[in-house]
Amino acid sequence: MTQAAVLAQLGNTPLGMRNLIINGAMQIAQRGTQSTGITTTGFSTVDHFRTSLSSLGTWTEDQSTDAPSGFSNSFKLTCTTADASPAAGDVAYIRYMFEGFELQNLAYGTSSAKPMTLSFWVKSNKTGSASVQLLQNDNSSKNISPSYTISSADTWEYKTISIPADTAGNIDNDNGPAVSLIWWLNSGSTYSSGSTQTSWSTYSAADSNAANLGIGGSTSDYFAITGVQLEVGSVATEFERRPYGTELALCQRYYWNPNLGGGNYFWMHPISYGAGFRRFTVIFPVRMRATPTCTVGGVATNGGSFATNSPRTEAGGSTTIICVGDLASGAGGEFSYITEFKASAEL
Amino acid sequence: MYKLVNDSLGNNNSVLRLSDNAFIPFDPDNTDYQEYLEWLAEGNTPEPADE
Repeated sequence: MTQAAVLAQLGNTPLGMRNLIINGAMQIAQRGTQSTGITTTGFSTVDHFRTSLSSLGTWTEDQSTDAPSGFSNSFKLTCTTADASPAAGDVAYIRYMFEGFELQNLAYGTSSAKPMTLSFWVKSNKTGSASVQLLQNDNSSKNISPSYTISSADTWEYKTISIPADTAGNIDNDNGPAVSLIWWLNSGSTYSSGSTQTSWSTYSAADSNAANLGIGGSTSDYFAITGVQLEVGSVATEFERRPYGTELALCQRYYWNPNLGGGNYFWMHPISYGAGFRRFTVIFPVRMRATPTCTVGGVATNGGSFATNSPRTEAGGSTTIICVGDLASGAGGEFSYITEFKASAEL
Repeated sequence: MYKLVNDSLGNNNSVLRLSDNAFIPFDPDNTDYQEYLEWLAEGNTPEPADE
């Protein structure tokens, strides 16, 4: 980048927190570092990046340590059961979802709307053209689906893609899903038979993955990304480093795993109006996006057992939630605790 | 599949997702709750809460 370009960029972009992507270096993986046998959509390893599948192969997802210089991790999908001929509606892609609150500085839907630049590192065994797509969830999935090219197999390559401003698509100022960012791996004709869109266009499924890389057509196909940055302006700047703790806290707005176990428990306390009742309040480390879905497990108590659907969560919000345990027997036991707790408020 | 869950006062304000034993609150901003509503709209019925 020339000095003039840098100076021009500085005039339009904050010096700090300019990367709109959370966990773009793939450092945070609260769910674990590897998940195998994946055939359906869900979050499995790296925070905030979701594997999306519909009847297209079986995959292993890794928070990989294979990364370009300057990075320690990548998000990697490896095909373990191929699908050489996907049916029309089959899909495989990686999805990142933006919350509406996070994108208000784009001024979309106004005459002051700003362009953006997406940059990322990518590595795959396959070469050729591939599609990325942005979908405006608040605007009937108005979308843009530019292509990029992977030139060399098994080699980290840096890509930059310009995203034009949209003066006609307002993004709601709320905590709901606002814009999806998608890296397509493969799909059937429903999503691949159209044309690449380089400007914001009315949604047509066929345009989504017009440049279909076809990852998953063969076993051992893989696709990895890291260093993902989306920033205001027309120039891609160097990846913004944020402290690990900051990045973790940003992720915990959407998912929190306190990593219980090994002597680290949530203790449940008896309450006065019934010896068989146990309660404790979980205080989330950051305010979550919404009241989270919670899993509670690994229950232990001395000499008693819990009733069905107990412990459970109830009477909660985005900052705290109450864990409730009803003892079915052994109500006089002195203590009980849980060794597993997870809270999800993902988009 | 889902199962209704009553709180300590007998009120129904969450549902148990049986596939992973996750408790889903009745919060319209929760995407799991949105999926549950879609499941209901398809004509499905959750298991009743324990007495």
